[in-house]
Amino acid sequence: MTPRRAALIPVYVALIFFAVITLIPFIWMITSALKTPEDYFTSFFLPRGEGWGGIAWERLTADNFRRLFREFPIGRAMVNSCMLASVTSTLATFICAMGGYGLAKFSFRGRTWLTSLVLGALIIPGPLLIAPSYQLLWQLGLLNSYAGLILPAIAPAFGVFLFRQAMLNAVPPELLEAARIDGAGEFRIFFTIVIPLVRPMIGAFLLITFLGAWNNFIGPQIALQSPEAFPLSVAINNLRGLHGTEYGLIMSGTLVSIAPVMCLFLLLQRDFISGLTSGAVKG
Amino acid sequence: MPRPFRLRRRPTPTSFLPTGAWIVVLVGVVSSAVFLSWPPTERPGREFWIFSNQRLTDYESAIADWNRDHPDARDQINITLLHLSALERRMMAAATADAPIADLVEGERDLVARVFAGPIEEVGFVDLTDRIAAENLLDQFNAPSLSPWISRGRIFGLPHDVHPCLLGYRSDIVEAAGIDVSQIETWDDFYRVLGPLIADLDGDGRPDRYLLNYWENQRDQTQALLLQAGSQFFDDAGHVTVDHALNARVLARLVTWVTGPNRFCVDAPEFTAGGDQMRLEGTVIASIMPDWLAGTWKNYIPGLAGKVKLMRLPAWEPGGRRTSVWGGTCLSITTTAPDPEKSWAFAKHLYFSPQVAEGLFRSTATISPVKAMWSRPFYHEPDPFFSGQKVGARYIREAPFVPERASSPFNTMVMDRLMVVLIDLKAHALEHQRFDPIALEPEARRLLAAAQADLEARVGRNVLYRPPPSP
Repeated sequence: MTPRRAALIPVYVALIFFAVITLIPFIWMITSALKTPEDYFTSFFLPRGEGWGGIAWERLTADNFRRLFREFPIGRAMVNSCMLASVTSTLATFICAMGGYGLAKFSFRGRTWLTSLVLGALIIPGPLLIAPSYQLLWQLGLLNSYAGLILPAIAPAFGVFLFRQAMLNAVPPELLEAARIDGAGEFRIFFTIVIPLVRPMIGAFLLITFLGAWNNFIGPQIALQSPEAFPLSVAINNLRGLHGTEYGLIMSGTLVSIAPVMCLFLLLQRDFISGLTSGAVKG
Repeated sequence: MPRPFRLRRRPTPTSFLPTGAWIVVLVGVVSSAVFLSWPPTERPGREFWIFSNQRLTDYESAIADWNRDHPDARDQINITLLHLSALERRMMAAATADAPIADLVEGERDLVARVFAGPIEEVGFVDLTDRIAAENLLDQFNAPSLSPWISRGRIFGLPHDVHPCLLGYRSDIVEAAGIDVSQIETWDDFYRVLGPLIADLDGDGRPDRYLLNYWENQRDQTQALLLQAGSQFFDDAGHVTVDHALNARVLARLVTWVTGPNRFCVDAPEFTAGGDQMRLEGTVIASIMPDWLAGTWKNYIPGLAGKVKLMRLPAWEPGGRRTSVWGGTCLSITTTAPDPEKSWAFAKHLYFSPQVAEGLFRSTATISPVKAMWSRPFYHEPDPFFSGQKVGARYIREAPFVPERASSPFNTMVMDRLMVVLIDLKAHALEHQRFDPIALEPEARRLLAAAQADLEARVGRNVLYRPPPSP
């Protein structure tokens, strides 16, 4: 073993140690989802018993998962969440990218004022907008519809400003001018030149908005009136009693609800990280 | 003539967007197609919002009966479960934006009181006072249970519960130590009689067992204890009255419960796995227990079955009140709903139903505020979880004595401020190593006076709800 490799051993040991620590809550959640209510408090991970390794393997159960899909409308809620999160994040990403591009690369009267307006919108606390948003949705006839939930979320000021900054740094004006001279239209320039240049930011923002929409808990309960339309976040919460909790059921519901998001994160993690760190190092 | 624009290399889909993004787009298309082919069903009729999932089951048969007897689609009842914070936001948003909400709402005490923060004629709930009087319903309810739903003399909700408090204790530990709890009349007795149970079981020099689940950050328990002592946070005209000798005396004693040489309390929060573990392990002997909490323990801590009993709360002084109150829900009819008469009929159908009362008691141990129900046999059955005690009968015995509560929109603000006083008082006790309640009272009074001034200023900022000037 070369000295350089040997020097890496403590680093890997430390990394494995911290990885295990990080995974403990996750493992705890999986084992809790497989335990009966009686076993939940008796052991930290797996129930103790006479089986191999001193564990009562025979007492592990998939009942919580079975109950989840039989007794509660989790399937329906899953479809609702997938639709809500994917449509919201796709639309929000494209609209914010377009808005950011417009503010970054086009000169027009009022651009500075408009940028300031976007920046100013960032400091308005969300709860302040609940009452006016509710009234607006009602007056527009959008209460109890997904449009009422998706439309207000497709142009967040944060996203527009984020893409404006990304466009300023990543898209050279010479490239745009060259494309215009070659006869490309504005939409073609946007889709074939600008979007690939800010690809990491697209991935990062898509993941952020997807997570935001997936985890949105209060919003759907305010805009949607029909319980059948509630997404997974609300359905999982409805598994909880007002004062007590069936922890195994909640853990199984939580596992089901985080699985799609984890898959998406694994697919987008490279873009997510490079999107967040782009511009962090001065080149 | 410019040359037409051509890309040198034919782009692939992933050169535009990451693979994950394409998957999101694909999921969006597929799930939208599924959603469009499987739309949520339209539910004509009256909307009824609740915040407790248990009540979905408890009300099921009564709602089915109602819907069967009222076949007109407009009169059918649709029940919707909402998280309490979502319910609150919808209510407040609708109240401020004048938008429609449900026809009927079950609201928790603090939430409902917030709706009263305006002129009486602008309250978003139907005034039920005249209806209740015309139908002679007032005497049918446990009188103190109406108080949280009355604002400026008008009743805006039917009481759902009474929520009297008893003391739930680990009878297996207490009886194994040969202690007779019938000797306990006051909180001083409680400490004197049960004190020997405070023990260092593992020999590390620190007690592993405490007598009461209480800590200075437990807002609800603090409120229950203050109410039990006779504290009122508002006078009849709605003025804040926290700067009071009684409050100072109670808060000073509570500080000595959680710190100092005679500490006998431990923080074992309800509704948490950690707190439940402490209860199972016997780290805490007793808990203040309203009826709904007895139901919660039965449902969610089965390991305590047969190991717990109920007793009356120790009084603050000999001959004092042996119960208190914690929590509360009412059923209100919203002013935006059409045909409030039908909603009123449904409200009575639900809350005067013996089947609903029995369901509530069996599922959550909650007793009905309708006095005629109290003789029903299900309240008088022995409960194996509570070592064969007749749980319903015990709570019913205390029901007429629960303290009345003001329904001020500033309830929450006042309690939050009192919690600050309690925490500051504990810090003062620790700093000066002073753990005698009488010695702490002057500081408690000073902190309460500051709290009173602060609260008066904050209440005075509400131009829509301002108590009349003090005479």
